[in-house]
Amino acid sequence: MIFLLTITFVAIGLFEAPALVRNKHWRELTVFLVFFLLAFTLALLQTVGVKIPNPIKGVEHLIKDILKISYR
Amino acid sequence: MRLEKGIISSSQLMFLVAGYVLGSVLVAAFTNTVTKQYTWLVVLSGLAVSIPLALVYVALTRKFPGKDLVQINRIVYGPYLSKLVSALYIWFFCSIAGFMLAYLSQTIKDYMMPETPLFAICILFTCICAWTVRNGIEVLARTSVIFVMIIIFVILITFFLLLKDMELTNFLPFFDLSLKDFIQGTHIMMTLPFCEIVVFLMLFPYVNKGVETKKSVILGLLIGGGSILIDTVRNTAVLGVASTIMISPSIESVRLIDLAEIITRLEMLVITLLLIAMFIKVSVMYYGTVLGIARLCNLRSYRQLVLPIGSIIVSLSMMTFDSLAQSNDFATRTGPFFTLVFEFSPVITLLVAKIRKLPK
Repeated sequence: MIFLLTITFVAIGLFEAPALVRNKHWRELTVFLVFFLLAFTLALLQTVGVKIPNPIKGVEHLIKDILKISYR
Repeated sequence: MRLEKGIISSSQLMFLVAGYVLGSVLVAAFTNTVTKQYTWLVVLSGLAVSIPLALVYVALTRKFPGKDLVQINRIVYGPYLSKLVSALYIWFFCSIAGFMLAYLSQTIKDYMMPETPLFAICILFTCICAWTVRNGIEVLARTSVIFVMIIIFVILITFFLLLKDMELTNFLPFFDLSLKDFIQGTHIMMTLPFCEIVVFLMLFPYVNKGVETKKSVILGLLIGGGSILIDTVRNTAVLGVASTIMISPSIESVRLIDLAEIITRLEMLVITLLLIAMFIKVSVMYYGTVLGIARLCNLRSYRQLVLPIGSIIVSLSMMTFDSLAQSNDFATRTGPFFTLVFEFSPVITLLVAKIRKLPK
């Protein structure tokens, strides 16, 4: 699984990055790399089986327990 | 500068809005657990409440012609606060796309392919959406015209095929609904299918005639709302109160179609409808996210961001909900407040713009 994931992400990188480097779009390349690395880390952690904190649980906690405005 | 070269016509915008609202046609059944057989009532009241908000969105784009949400925020809130507001909006678009993808893959897994792993369905679906988003808004707008026709055709044909199974006594007693449930139902209906059109603030600059935007948005909302109304009336008339305990009443009611034992098992039609409608909804949200990030970081093109964001959306959809019951719980209890914050804040933006006398 990790192998397949890495191949997919390398393919995405090779698909997008060369055109950006050729046209000297450095700002675009930086933003692309940031999101690329974020996506790769998330996917890798999920494949390995690490429990990532669920953002929805955070929103639910904020609305239900801190603001106390949810419907019962 | 323009990120997107394509331009859509106002009639295409109408179909895009209608298809976008119809994306929630099965999700709207979540309200059944709260309002029982009166869901048709809250569909109408939710539609009525959401039209003024839609008018506010249109008024905002008229005040700042040719500007999208991130640029409007930048003008109204200044350079620093606007970054935070826009980033929150982008996170909202991204997470809604994730929820919708989670709902779609859970439904397909539960009703069609129980052995298939969830991520396979998610990744395949996101690939198609990514392809569409990379090709630009014109492609999406043109496909939505055909897709909305198919959706409305399916809803009408299932309605007429189920006419003999309908019992109007299922709607009785009339108006026996407590005020609290009515408000909750209206709130869910308003925030879940209708007012999520806030993402269209990213798309309005690419409509060719800005003048007709208002008409096409309202007409699109009415087409979408009318189809959701027909769908809920059909479900309640066929299933009665039993529809409140079902996760997807549309599939269960269409399953009952039996025409001389030849035309049966039409629930595949509903799954097709779900796939098509969700395609429009997820693509628009996805497009809004990608365009928003490109605008926020002052990029020259958004195309290179499409694949990484798609991967993030798949990851989000995989980790948010484990089952349909869990997403039902979120959508009926805390979700409405979460989305209302984002759907109501354009009103505040408009007020601040009025007070500061923008644009100068």
